[in-house]
Amino acid sequence: MRTDTTAIPSSITTEVSKTFWRSRGGVFLIRNSMVGVMLIAVLVFTLATPRFASPQNLQSILIAAAPFALIALGQTLVILTGGIDLSVGSVIALSAMTSAWFAVNDPSKIWLGFAIGVLVGLAVGIVNGLLVSVFAIAPFVATLSTLTAASGLAYAVGKGAPILGIPAAYGELANTRLGGLPVPVWLMFIGLLVIGVLLHKFAFGTRIYAVGGNAVAAEIAGIKVSRVRFQVYAISGLLAGISGVLLSSRVVNAAPSLGAGYELDAIAAVVIGGASLFGGRGTVWGTAIGLLLIQTLNNGLDIMLIPSYWQDVIKGLLIATAVGVDVFAIRRLNR
Amino acid sequence: MEHTHGKEAVTVAATTSPLIAVRNVVKSYGDNPVLRGIDLDIEPGEVIALAGENGAGKSTLMKILAGLVIPDAGEVGVSGEPLNLGSVRESRRRGIAIVPQELAPVLDLPVYANIFLGREPRTTLGALDRKSMIRDSKELLRSFDLHVDPRTPMRMLSTAMQQLIEIVKCISIGASVILLDEPTSAISQNEVDRLYRIIRDLRDQGVAIVYTTHKMAEIRAVATRVVVLRDGVLISDEAISRISDEQIVTSMIGRELDDLYPALQSPGGGESILSISDLVVTPGGPAVSLTVRKGEIVALAGLLGAGRTELMEAAYGARRAYGGQCAIDGRVIRSHDPSAAIRAGMALVPEDRKVGGAVLSMNILLNGILPRLRRFTRFGWLNKKEIVEHVAHNMDAVRLKRTSLKQEVGHLSGGNQQKVVIGRWLTGDLKVLLLDEPTRGVDVGARSEIYQLITDLAREHNVAILMASSDMTEVIGLAHRIVVMTQGEIVAEFDRADHPDAEVLQELVFRHAAGIAEPHRESRHAN
Repeated sequence: MRTDTTAIPSSITTEVSKTFWRSRGGVFLIRNSMVGVMLIAVLVFTLATPRFASPQNLQSILIAAAPFALIALGQTLVILTGGIDLSVGSVIALSAMTSAWFAVNDPSKIWLGFAIGVLVGLAVGIVNGLLVSVFAIAPFVATLSTLTAASGLAYAVGKGAPILGIPAAYGELANTRLGGLPVPVWLMFIGLLVIGVLLHKFAFGTRIYAVGGNAVAAEIAGIKVSRVRFQVYAISGLLAGISGVLLSSRVVNAAPSLGAGYELDAIAAVVIGGASLFGGRGTVWGTAIGLLLIQTLNNGLDIMLIPSYWQDVIKGLLIATAVGVDVFAIRRLNR
Repeated sequence: MEHTHGKEAVTVAATTSPLIAVRNVVKSYGDNPVLRGIDLDIEPGEVIALAGENGAGKSTLMKILAGLVIPDAGEVGVSGEPLNLGSVRESRRRGIAIVPQELAPVLDLPVYANIFLGREPRTTLGALDRKSMIRDSKELLRSFDLHVDPRTPMRMLSTAMQQLIEIVKCISIGASVILLDEPTSAISQNEVDRLYRIIRDLRDQGVAIVYTTHKMAEIRAVATRVVVLRDGVLISDEAISRISDEQIVTSMIGRELDDLYPALQSPGGGESILSISDLVVTPGGPAVSLTVRKGEIVALAGLLGAGRTELMEAAYGARRAYGGQCAIDGRVIRSHDPSAAIRAGMALVPEDRKVGGAVLSMNILLNGILPRLRRFTRFGWLNKKEIVEHVAHNMDAVRLKRTSLKQEVGHLSGGNQQKVVIGRWLTGDLKVLLLDEPTRGVDVGARSEIYQLITDLAREHNVAILMASSDMTEVIGLAHRIVVMTQGEIVAEFDRADHPDAEVLQELVFRHAAGIAEPHRESRHAN
């Protein structure tokens, strides 16, 4: 440390830091702080183990990210309205179980099984939407109840056990490669693009931001607030349904415990991406970064043979840091 | 017993210095002076009605005494000793307690816990001494003739009872001066009577009470002294027996019209466009009818809680109506559906822009198109170029000070936020503009710009304007027609053109609003 910096009166340094954090560069740094964390993580893993940066490994990060990406996108929409969807993990299990059950029942119509799995997800999403918008039940409670019920149903479909005898063709959907990348990765990219465009280029997104930012003002501006709320839960359910089908197809397996706890990783991705749980703030770009960061950490720490319990500790610290940076940033910007 | 503190106050008053001595207290918010040098003495056992119009400075004076607001200059003495200003704890310690207009009890805690909040007695083991809290609360409540079980959760009680318990709490912490800010604004008549009884009890115990009001009946009911503020100046200070209603009214009104208002033009003489017929706003409440013509500015005058906001919100569909209808150009609008009202050409600028106006977390651009999203989209796709052009044009029209259209509205000043909330409605589709307290929390400069805008909209764009305002000068300065409401009903109507003398009209309007004049409706535009 050079000595002359300490000679500057603190009032000037705070003034300088204030103007810095308010400047374009400062705002950019704060907004993209997680990109920085991501780059550091990548750098550390690359130096630590040569296997990390191999094309195969990078691809496996994307493959692992895909099912999370879909539910994190749905979660982004829900969180932007100021709500939360806890049910997505259970929806993954339920849709995987129903999809696989139909496939086993009639192996000639595997595609029908997939379609039904997706529709089951949409159905749970619709129930969530109705509970929140029509019956005005707090999102946390409404989706907690569907989390429980959907998980129970998933077990009921398999009578308490995984679905056995799934035909090998069931795995074709998620393991087929198009242009070198498996289908789920493409679906992830399409999902990011579609939801991103919907949110940032369409009036649909403007309504979501308005409802989450100030529901009363949105209502007065003629926006049908309960309709918007209904829509985001329905979409979240739909995406979770797709995610469940992809996940079970990838491993050609369907167990009622599939997807358990995934909702928390999805919420973590959205929060790390800078969204506010109070609604109205957040972007698809942020969610994408949050998602990749979590997956990169999972993968890199696995390769480095760090036990999963320590991985959880690291992820926990990361979430706290992300939210801390956000609070710090908002305070700086508003000062 | 805690509430014998009042008696101590009597002995203190035997010395020469008054219980409370306010000296030359000055306060302004920005460029806006609120108190311009107030001197006031308060003696034990007095009940002082602090009267004056909205914005006269009553609440600010109370908040200064309670330590909630720090004055720019001046001092306050308590029993001859100077009070350390700006600290609620200090004010409380010296015996000054306030019951604010918006009560904030802990709703889920029982009554006794609210009374002892923050100073709970402990047992020898350090646990909360519930038994003694309940016992003491019971005694306190009984001494005020309040039949409430102290174990009742606060939530179960009426607003009026919560308020009385707040007063009981003031006594239990040993207050010798209790400040009540608009104590009757949220409670019913028989509850008001009970409040008066308790005020008299306290007076007999030697506690000094100061309450704000602008209703004549309430001044007469319990006050021993009337202090009138107007524009931050103490206009009159008399014993109740030595001042007539006439004199009180005269000193309350007569605020000067400043030159913020554009010259009044006669309305374009267009046909009526907004017609509210038999609209019932509260279940079993009165039915209200009102029409506004194209290019006409109609102001709803009245006191707090007169039902102006409710009427406008119900007409617009932001609130449920229990009967009647609202039509634009003869076409009835679907009730309780703001989007239908917007399609019909109606717009509402709500009372509190932070609650119902702007989405503070969104930028100017998106706030600017929010009510007319459909107009700027093709199959849902936002037409960026058109949006930027349109919003830039509108925000120029309202003279919004901004660095970029991408600025978050939450980062703008109050006046500029209000400009965004008004500006976003300015499209060719606008036929009827409802403005609820359009200049609340807006600085003087932005205020005059908003006035100019309102006048222009009516004159040049033939927009029908219905506005509600508690600022009497605003009502007189802008409106072609003034409709006075009390308790949800229209009680009087005045045509500005028939009353060239602003001061006389102001007095007339005020008398009707305060409920001290016979109902009156001018024939010319009666429907």
